[in-house]
Amino acid sequence: MTKASRGGPLQGVRVVEITKVWAGPYAGKLLGYLGAEAIRVESMGSLDVTRTYGVEDINNAPGFMAVNPQKLSVQIDMKTEKGLALLLDLIRQADIVIENLRPGAMERLGLGYEQVKQAKSDIIYVSMSMFGNRGPLAYQTGYAPCFAALGGLSALVGYEGEPPTGMNIRYADSTFGALSAYAAVVALLHRRRTGEGQHIDVSAVECMTSMIGDAVMDFMLNGVERLCDGNRHAEMSPHGIYPCQGGDWISIAAANDESWRALAEEMGQGALARDERFATLTARKANEDELDRLVAGWSATRNAEALSKALQKRGVAAGKSQNSIDLIADQRLWSRGLFQDVDDGQGGSRPVIGPSWRMSRGASLERGAPRLGEHNAYIFGEVLGLSEAAQRELADAGAIR
Amino acid sequence: MSALRSLKILELAEGVAGEYCGKLLSDFGADVIKIEKPGEGSPTRRLGPFGPRGDAPETSGLFAYLNTNKSSVELDVTSKAGAAALLKLLPHVDAVIDDHPPGWLREIGLNPEKLEDKYPGLIVCSITAYGQDAPEDSQHAEDINVMHASGWGFHTPSGADNARAPLNGPGRFLPSYEGGLEGALCVAASLYEKLESKRGRFIEVSKQAALTSRCDYVVGQMIAGDMDVSQDRRAFDLFGPAGIFHTRDGFVYIFMSAPAHWQGLRQLLGDPEWMQAFPEDWLEKQCTPQRVALVREMLAGWLKDKAKDDVAEAAQKLGVTLVAVNTAKDMLASTQFTFREFFASIAHPVMGEARYPTVPYKMSATPAKLERPAPLLGQHTDGVLAAREP
Repeated sequence: MTKASRGGPLQGVRVVEITKVWAGPYAGKLLGYLGAEAIRVESMGSLDVTRTYGVEDINNAPGFMAVNPQKLSVQIDMKTEKGLALLLDLIRQADIVIENLRPGAMERLGLGYEQVKQAKSDIIYVSMSMFGNRGPLAYQTGYAPCFAALGGLSALVGYEGEPPTGMNIRYADSTFGALSAYAAVVALLHRRRTGEGQHIDVSAVECMTSMIGDAVMDFMLNGVERLCDGNRHAEMSPHGIYPCQGGDWISIAAANDESWRALAEEMGQGALARDERFATLTARKANEDELDRLVAGWSATRNAEALSKALQKRGVAAGKSQNSIDLIADQRLWSRGLFQDVDDGQGGSRPVIGPSWRMSRGASLERGAPRLGEHNAYIFGEVLGLSEAAQRELADAGAIR
Repeated sequence: MSALRSLKILELAEGVAGEYCGKLLSDFGADVIKIEKPGEGSPTRRLGPFGPRGDAPETSGLFAYLNTNKSSVELDVTSKAGAAALLKLLPHVDAVIDDHPPGWLREIGLNPEKLEDKYPGLIVCSITAYGQDAPEDSQHAEDINVMHASGWGFHTPSGADNARAPLNGPGRFLPSYEGGLEGALCVAASLYEKLESKRGRFIEVSKQAALTSRCDYVVGQMIAGDMDVSQDRRAFDLFGPAGIFHTRDGFVYIFMSAPAHWQGLRQLLGDPEWMQAFPEDWLEKQCTPQRVALVREMLAGWLKDKAKDDVAEAAQKLGVTLVAVNTAKDMLASTQFTFREFFASIAHPVMGEARYPTVPYKMSATPAKLERPAPLLGQHTDGVLAAREP
């Protein structure tokens, strides 16, 4: 349980999270998966909604457990004076603070960057908010799909010639968390070289825009506002999602003429590849509705997995559009440890989402998410060096549990 | 001084994933040397959007965006002479970024298993569609295939109509951007460690795994058996009246889940009779399809002659999470994007001056900065290769 025990590039780094829900905790999780010790500061008075949403048992809340493996949990009530002082003591022993409360909320708690800097001058302090901490619209708030709408993503997703539908409603928080984690690591590196800490102010909306930078460039260069184009791609055809047996779908992309010829062969219609309507990318783009109808008519009676295998054998980029059953059974993900079993802290094991990467000398992933206050003794005793009597006194004052 | 100044990165990548990974580092001042095929350069140079002059050489907006602050060296690392030149460069660099298919690194002499012996201080990061050990039947992938292998594709859009194909998500390259970001995170962490340990590391990122992990809140519950799995296209969804609505000048998005949202919305709409008939806690406790349909219908009618930014401002002031569905044009005109200086002007020798998206983090000590436009093909060949000669 000491902070140097799991290996990985960020071994020895301590992260204090004053985070809620998904985006902030996701940033802490990535740092933890790289070897850092990530500590969630919690209290009964302001529990994360993912600990309570739809469940009775705050220590077995599925949403919380999904996003917080390997973390530590300490109970400190930041709304009491003694709790606040204790939290600042903890921050003195930390390298990074991550917060994703509303802009201004940390300042009101006495925990803004300038205030924390007084306690720990080289702290790396990451603020995460929808639109950034300052500015004319910084007061606005929203949830993940709002970030995607404001950041330009939603307008790009939809069927051709129709209003936008947007990406799946769950997208945005984790990407926002990942970009925040990246900036924090860059700041760590800078601090190791110079001794200087800093404040990082991340905008969720801009994180979204970063994921479509090239589409934005079209407007910057040509004044072109992109519209929804279904599953089309300017440089590939066919390029789409086609129906298969049993309500399944398959993704197929012909990156060039050769790939298209191989697809036509698999369709048993090699002549199509020589048909002047489809012989070149330019011709296929001009006749894409017809081409998509031909591919869809052919795929509709096939089994998605068998078809994907047959196309792969011919060198064509294809794959089943995976539903949630396919996903949790995907051996590509189990074999690389994206899905893996860890100690559930209750005498059993539990599957969690591990890191997406594999690396030499990586950090080990050992256990699931913490129970509320599970690491009070370690944090108060070992990290902060409080005697049992001092801890009792703080508990009596309501600052800790 | 930017944070990664003086760190040297060799970019062997020729796709969006590796180039975005390199960009995340170069925009913090790392010296990223891009190795390109002599005469033709990176394939991303031949992908749009192109500038107003069409698809002449050096006019790809995609390449220009992905390669700011980098240097370009023409070198065929698959040739004997090129491979020899590469070996001479390696002792001088901190990290290598690659996004070729599995096995390619080994072919050019960078066998991941032998890296530690041969180049103990070298960080090598590979980004591929399904990982270096991808099975035989997953060797060929474009981003649309990865998107649909990750779970996000099948479940997009939310509230799917089963008769219509699932969608590919925003833009052409989301899996590559996410994979590149994951790679940059791992490389930066490894560079941090290397400052003290002097040790390198082999990193391999799967774009599919990176994307799937971005849905850990949902998929994590699914693999643990806490949430049902099915063939349902709506298995990732949240329920309720959230969605995109027409305004007179575009679209807005509204999200509602809590009683406070409903209270705000009642105020915004002037508390008409139909709203008074709803239970206070209907969003949380009594969210029936009929109620959702009625709210959507009434909202659509109310919003259609409003202006998106005005109605968003009014709604936000009442605690309603309603926002504009921005286009690129809207973002460029946004007072908030402007305040944060998110778009920066860069002059490119062939494409001219244009505004580019920068980075989503404002850093008080080491701001990222787009100082140089993407390099012309081979612009730095002589300088870089000559500097390594004994």
